[in-house]
Amino acid sequence: MATTPPAEPGLSVRGVSLRFGGITVLDDVSFDAPRGGILGLVGPNGAGKTSLFNCISGHYQPTAGSILVGGTETVRTPAWRMARLGLARTFQHPALRLDATVLENVMLGAHSWLPGGPVSWALRLPTTRRHERQARDRALELLERTGLGWAAHTPADELSHGLHKGVELCRALLSRPSLLLLDEPAAGLSHGEVEALISTVREVRQEFDLTVVVVEHHMGLISALTDRVVVLDHGAKLMEGTAAEAQSDPRVVEAYLGKEVGAA
Amino acid sequence: MATASGTAPATAPATTAPRRRSPLVRLAALLGGLALAVVLVVAPLVSSPFINYQLSSIMVFAVALLGLNVVMGYTGQVSLGQSAFLGLGAYVTAYGVVQGWPLWLSLVLSAALPATVGMLVALAAARLRGLALAMITIALPIVGVPLARRLDEFTGGSQGQVVSFLRAPETTGLANDQWRYYVVTVIAVVVFVLVRNLVRGRVGRSFAVVKENEAVALSMGVSPYRTKVLAFTIASLLGGLAGFMYLAVVQYTSPETLVFATSINLVAAMVIGGSASIVGTVLGALYYVLVPVVAGQVSSSRTALISGAVLLAVLFVLPAGLASLPRRVGGRLRRRTPAAEGAPATPDPDGTAPAVPTPAAASTDRR
Repeated sequence: MATTPPAEPGLSVRGVSLRFGGITVLDDVSFDAPRGGILGLVGPNGAGKTSLFNCISGHYQPTAGSILVGGTETVRTPAWRMARLGLARTFQHPALRLDATVLENVMLGAHSWLPGGPVSWALRLPTTRRHERQARDRALELLERTGLGWAAHTPADELSHGLHKGVELCRALLSRPSLLLLDEPAAGLSHGEVEALISTVREVRQEFDLTVVVVEHHMGLISALTDRVVVLDHGAKLMEGTAAEAQSDPRVVEAYLGKEVGAA
Repeated sequence: MATASGTAPATAPATTAPRRRSPLVRLAALLGGLALAVVLVVAPLVSSPFINYQLSSIMVFAVALLGLNVVMGYTGQVSLGQSAFLGLGAYVTAYGVVQGWPLWLSLVLSAALPATVGMLVALAAARLRGLALAMITIALPIVGVPLARRLDEFTGGSQGQVVSFLRAPETTGLANDQWRYYVVTVIAVVVFVLVRNLVRGRVGRSFAVVKENEAVALSMGVSPYRTKVLAFTIASLLGGLAGFMYLAVVQYTSPETLVFATSINLVAAMVIGGSASIVGTVLGALYYVLVPVVAGQVSSSRTALISGAVLLAVLFVLPAGLASLPRRVGGRLRRRTPAAEGAPATPDPDGTAPAVPTPAAASTDRR
């Protein structure tokens, strides 16, 4: 089903381990996310999905292993430089500035590619103003595309949780990413909102030639959205395959539901 | 299970919310700005030297407060050391005047030297947060005051030093107090325009996200560390500039200029005016300068008491500062007439297949 990957995978995780003191959070995890594909990262609570996410996004530094984004080694890159390498992410709990408008929130996404330092911004040089206008137009366009155009000038605290997720997605997309990490995008969404989310992610994936990695509990979303899934359990990769394969794999069922025990 | 073929993106741009404020509001703002400009220009010509001194002081402390607001209001980093930069700027200027430097050199150095000091301190301290950061910034005036007393070749020691500069040129026909008022007003206006521009664009957004959530900042390509260092540097630069203006107005500086209490009062004034607000900064400066004067006229022995009472009263009624008054009033009016104003923007026009979450959910928000 997935578009056959060109030379470099969008994301390549190789032998990544993460230890905090004596606790092993991730244990030698390896997988590739083909460029332009959508990869699901699933597993029971505490399996290490979010920790792996944080390693990829640069918030944690893995104890061992390497992570390549579009072929570039990123393990030692500080988190704030990752945006410039084409990585964008959303958060499990949308983190927006509630007192600012939706547009202002989305505009933050342009930070990594907007040029100019404090002096040119203080002086509002013509070039600076032009760049700001470009970013603004692009932001409005993305909001329009995701059905949020009407809310551009509304303060973020007047929107619902579901809409916050959409705003966050627009913010991430404005950074012109090549790799998009979605951390539980369906959490707290209604059924209709999840359907809309699925179609949006599929659309933008195609349009921006994005590699998408999704952490999610919502199996419906995983089945509908992903080309492949990687199942984590206790910090290690349990299996890799399609969503359907994962759901019928006895090891996965066991990880989620526990072993069948003789007793009643 | 889910059907997820690409629903056509909603391409109905015409019905989006208004881009900016309405023309009427903009006109009002323009007229208000013009009126303010006229007042700023005419006021010193018709006022007594005492009034001009107060007006000039407002400009001085508005700039100092603006710096504090950049680092504390906009970027959310506690700074209790702003008075140290004010004092340093004043001393640098005084030294320059005594040495006979050209005035522009004193002006530049009065900003550049405090900015450098502020940046060096921030490079070391910006990784700290909360109380630890507060302690470092407290150290600046605590160390600065005895230092200013000891280095008496440069500072004039505990006596302080009187300097006389910035006299009105003969050709202008202005008195010294009027001339000095114009000089500090021009500096203040320029600084306010520059900072207003700064906090509205890319840099302003990075300040705001560092204040709000550093994890988001990192993921969007903003380095919290660099952003904080920048904010501190700007704050100390403006503090130093305010020091230059202070000396221009007061013509005297002593270790008293940088005492810790001044920093605290500046923080109080910033909160009273409204943090992360340009208008709030001006209101804070009005509070800082005028309330003690008025309180002193009411009862000269109870100045501090009255100032404190005003502070408590304002914060009780307007916790977000004086600048939040229009929003508070507006919010109350809107709540009284629901569905009148805010509503029309909300519903999705003719249900053009919204992709991400349906706007219908918007009506079920909290608040």
